[in-house]
Parts: sequence; structure tokens; C-alpha cells
Amino acid sequence: MTAKNLFSVGALALVVTAGCSRNPPPPAAAPQAQGAADSAAARAAAARRDSLAAQARADSLARANLEQSRADSVRAEIQRQGADTGSVAVSPGLAPAEASELADAIHFDYNRADLRPADQAKLDRKFQLLQAHPRLEIQIAGNCDERGSVEYNLALGERRAAAAKRYLVAHGIATSRISVVSYGEERPADPGHSEESWARNRRDDFVATRGAN
Amino acid sequence: MKRGVLASLVLALAAPAALAAQDTTARPGGVRVGITYVPGTRSSIAILGAAGAAVDSVRTILQRDLDYSDRFEVVVPPASVLVPGTAPDYRVLTALGADLAVAVVPAPDPRGRGVEIQLHDVRSGSVRNRLDLSLPSAGAGGEAFRQAVHRAADEVVRWATGSPGVASTSILYVDNGKLWRVDPDGLGRAPVPSTGSPALSPTWSPDGHTIAYTALVRSGTPIVLQDLAGGRRDVVPGTEYGVNITPEFSPDGRKLAFAHGTEDGTDVYLYDVARRCCVTRVTVGRYSDNLSPTWSPDGQRLAFVSSRAGQPQLYVMAADGSSQEVLAPFDYGSTGQSNGPEWSPDGQSVAFHREVRGIPQVFVVDVASRVVRQITGAGRNEDATWAPDGRHLAFVSSRSGVRQLWIVDLETGRMRPIVTTGGARLPAWSPRHASLEAG
Repeated sequence: MTAKNLFSVGALALVVTAGCSRNPPPPAAAPQAQGAADSAAARAAAARRDSLAAQARADSLARANLEQSRADSVRAEIQRQGADTGSVAVSPGLAPAEASELADAIHFDYNRADLRPADQAKLDRKFQLLQAHPRLEIQIAGNCDERGSVEYNLALGERRAAAAKRYLVAHGIATSRISVVSYGEERPADPGHSEESWARNRRDDFVATRGAN
Repeated sequence: MKRGVLASLVLALAAPAALAAQDTTARPGGVRVGITYVPGTRSSIAILGAAGAAVDSVRTILQRDLDYSDRFEVVVPPASVLVPGTAPDYRVLTALGADLAVAVVPAPDPRGRGVEIQLHDVRSGSVRNRLDLSLPSAGAGGEAFRQAVHRAADEVVRWATGSPGVASTSILYVDNGKLWRVDPDGLGRAPVPSTGSPALSPTWSPDGHTIAYTALVRSGTPIVLQDLAGGRRDVVPGTEYGVNITPEFSPDGRKLAFAHGTEDGTDVYLYDVARRCCVTRVTVGRYSDNLSPTWSPDGQRLAFVSSRAGQPQLYVMAADGSSQEVLAPFDYGSTGQSNGPEWSPDGQSVAFHREVRGIPQVFVVDVASRVVRQITGAGRNEDATWAPDGRHLAFVSSRSGVRQLWIVDLETGRMRPIVTTGGARLPAWSPRHASLEAG
């Protein structure tokens, strides 16, 4: 699927979430119907504004709740002494093929955080999965190769994760459904030290964090 | 007389040795980088000890500490030079070329647990300083015993040179996600309890009682403030979200500079530790990263890393974020990325690492002249941290084939490994008088 196709899907999604109320534009050669059409369009626009505002409010509330609970768990986690052995229970309700499409990593050039055109198809597929499973929530984890400082790579990883998130959000996924995290160079996919290993390690990983259907 | 000797000694030590560090493990041939070792500028010090178990243990530690101070040529004369109860044989010491002599003798303590440490001026044939060292009852290999001798060694260095040594300090570092500490002589390695999650970028408060670090917990990367003695931990407010890295305390201990990353990039922030509130933003670098802030000793400026020109490089600014400029000059597009700056205790230079043909090497930039000097050349070398004496750097090096902590003396160029377990990184050298309770 191309980026152009995705754009139309995104636009469709926006219409659907706005309440399916938008009419096609009235034909220009129908002056007597102009007033009625105008007020219908105005009503539709107002409804759409209200609906968007409601969604924005819900989004911001969800984000605040999420952030609060995240802050609480951060504070709880730093008090722990023992090894971190816990795991997040996830039942994303995805078919196995879908789960592997979601998990399919995207990759980056050295010291870059901009998306490669070749990876847009992968992101488009993830967008479709998020559309198809409205309760699915994901985490995007940015990763780097071992070059550069440990700390700089944490910052770079955050930008890599954010780039993928921006793409999905720009196409209509609610920002509260996507969290980002950076692992810097701490979790290489390939432990080697060659150019090939580095290329594999400069990546975003995608995991489902919630979303049983 | 004593004054004169001391003055010439200090003068000799302060003689400007135009040198970079010597890489003592580098093989001959190939490129050696800025390496000029100038011998003969150091005074020679003899270590004397009467027989006896306590004296032997003290003398052994003292001798190593004075050697590792890199300020002396250490001479160990035959035992006959020191006859208990009498002055050392100054003629023999003179013949050995010793300018100074340290004698460890049993103190007149009826329980026999103390020793006296004397500093002799060989040329004038007199005792210049003496110190009674009462030793902990715990065994000679114990941490408290070793720290007591380290403190005495630092005092001997102060007697001889005017500024104390750094044997009684400690280096914090990360190994396999855990925090550890080690003494500069490579002994006393012990874990420092931290969160159960991987830790990064540990740093000390100036009083040595608190550390700060990044914790890679499952739900975020907060910056944790941890009281060393009591183990109490707090999250820096606001760091529950986003990427939070590279904390460093201001020299007065009242502020913590750190980098906070959001989806729009990473910027330098200040947290008011003294008032336990108020996070303020210092840099605004949309879609670029600004991180690794490090304070000038007067607290007026911050050096930091920024990727504003593409590759991360070193910049400097006033502590309020104004007057930002390049600190370590670079050629756009050809100079490798620069990271991990740390401002020296004397304020004159900033240590950092820069990639040379893709391999990080330790550099020092002179703050006034902006002249950059390469310190290392063999293997990967990174994450340099200053000793409080401003002449030693600890850093991570792979020169031996595995990642270990090494120390370099910038005056003599001498290098030695201190942690050899093979996963050490991100060292942070403590200030003097840090909390050294074994964790």
C-alpha cells in the first residue's frame, strides 16, 4: 500500500469517527438549493467540531490518566531492590499473522531519526491494524547501534520512536493509544559489531500493550 | 630551609610539561598520539617501614597510593636503612637519590594497633611532618583499614606537594546495569544497591552523600536521587515521563542539571534540589538533542552536547541558557561525533570523547584557548571522569580486548587498569570525603 492510499484511509477514518455526517459538496449549479445546503453544511461542520472536541477531551483525559498511572508505577518501581522479573500480560486479540505484522521492525540510517520511504508500507500496515482493532494500544521502542555515547543513543532512540508515532498519529490514530520508549543501545537485536549488525540494531520495535478484542 | 625545599619541589612539580598522556600499553610502531613523557620532573620518595604485621600492611598500601599519585619516583630501600628507635640513614637515602622519605613506625600505643607515619626531608636530615594513625581493629585487608591508610597517604601527598592525593576517593560505575564502586587502586570493589532495574549515568553530589542516576524501569526512565548512607530514593519530579538522562549536580549542590527528552527532542533542564521543586528548561532545541550538561566549577556555565549541527558536538552556555557557542571546534561533516563532557575541577578544561575514524577516543579541550588535545589512541576509549586532583582521568577502554576502567595521569601519561571484569562503563569519580560505607 502506498502513502497516498493510506492518506485516503486516514481521511475516511476521520469521517467515520466524526459521526459519518459529512455530505458530499452540493452541486454548484443549483442556486435555489444554496441556502439549505449552506445551513446543512454548517450544521454538519458544527457537529464535526463538537465531535472532534469531545474526542480531544477524551484523549486528553485518557492521556492524563495514563500519565498519572505511569508516574505512580515509576515511583513504585524505583523502590524495588530485586531483579526486574515482571512481565506485562498482553492479549492483543490479534491473529498470529497480524501480530507478526505489528512486530515487524522498521530501520534507520546512521545517526538519523527520519523514516525511510521503504518502511512506509510497514507503517501503513500497522496503521490498518490499529484501525481494525480500536482497543489495541501499542508501544514503539526506539533503538540504536552501539556507536555514539550510551546517553546520546537514548535521546536518539526516543526521536526514532517518536518519528513512527508521529506518522501514525498524523494519519488519524489517537495519540493516547501509542506510547514511546527509548532503549538506546541497550537492547541490540544483533550482538555483532559489523555494519550489518549495526544496521539491524538501528530500529523501532512495536509491541502491543493492551487491546484484547 | 624547609620552605626553600618545599618551594623548589612545588616548582619542579608545576614545571609545564608539554605533554599529552602516554599510552603505556601501545605497541611500538603505528601512530602514537600526542605522547611526550618528560621524566625527571618528579621528586623521589623512599618508603621505609620497621618490621611488624601492622606496619607491613600500612606500608604496602601507602607505597601503592604514593606510586599511583604519579607525583613521585617511589624508591624502596633495604630494610636496614631504618633501625627502630633511631633516625633513618640519610646518607644511604641520598645515595639512592631520594629527596623525601616516608617512614612507618609503630606508635607508642600500648595496645599496638597504631602506627606513626613520618615524612623526612632527606637533604636537611629532619622530620618534616608526622601523623598518628590509629588503625581499625578489623583485619588489615578490611575496607575501614584500607580507607584509613588511604587518608593518611593523601595527607602525605599534601605534605609533599601542597595538595592532597585522591587515594581515599571512590569511583562509581555501571556494570551489566548494576551500580558498583571501586577505589582508585582497583580494590574495594562493591555493589551499590540501586533500583532493581538497569542504571545509567551515575553522578555524585559535591558533598559525596547523594548520588543521582537514570533508572531504566519498565514504565519509564526517571532520574533517581539516592541517599548513599540511608538508601532513600526519590524521583526527580517531571522525570516520570520521557527520556531522562545525564544528571549532574551544580558545584554548590543546590541544583541538578539533566536532559529530558520528549517526542520533540531532548533538552537541558535544571531541578532545584535544595528546595525540592521547580524544574526549569535551559535549552530549546526543537527536533535536536541537547544533553550531558556539565557545570563549570564556579557554577556560572554549562558545557553540553548538542546535535543541532547534525552530529553531536560540544557547546557551552551560561547556566541560564544564554550565550550558547561551540566549545570544542569541529569541521562540519568530517569531525566525528563528540560526547560525554565533564568539566575539570580546576575549571581550565573539559574532558570528552570524540570519534576518530569511527572509534571513540578521549580528548581534553582547553576552555580558554579552545585547543583540543587527544589523550588516547589504542582501542575504544570513552566516558572520561576527572579525579578531584584535576590531573587524573578514569575512563572506559577496550585496549585490552574487553571493556575495562582505566586511569590516566595527564601529567606523566601513565595509564593503568583498575576494573578488569570486562563490562564496566560510565565511571563517575567521587569528590573528596564521599560516603564510603560499603554497600
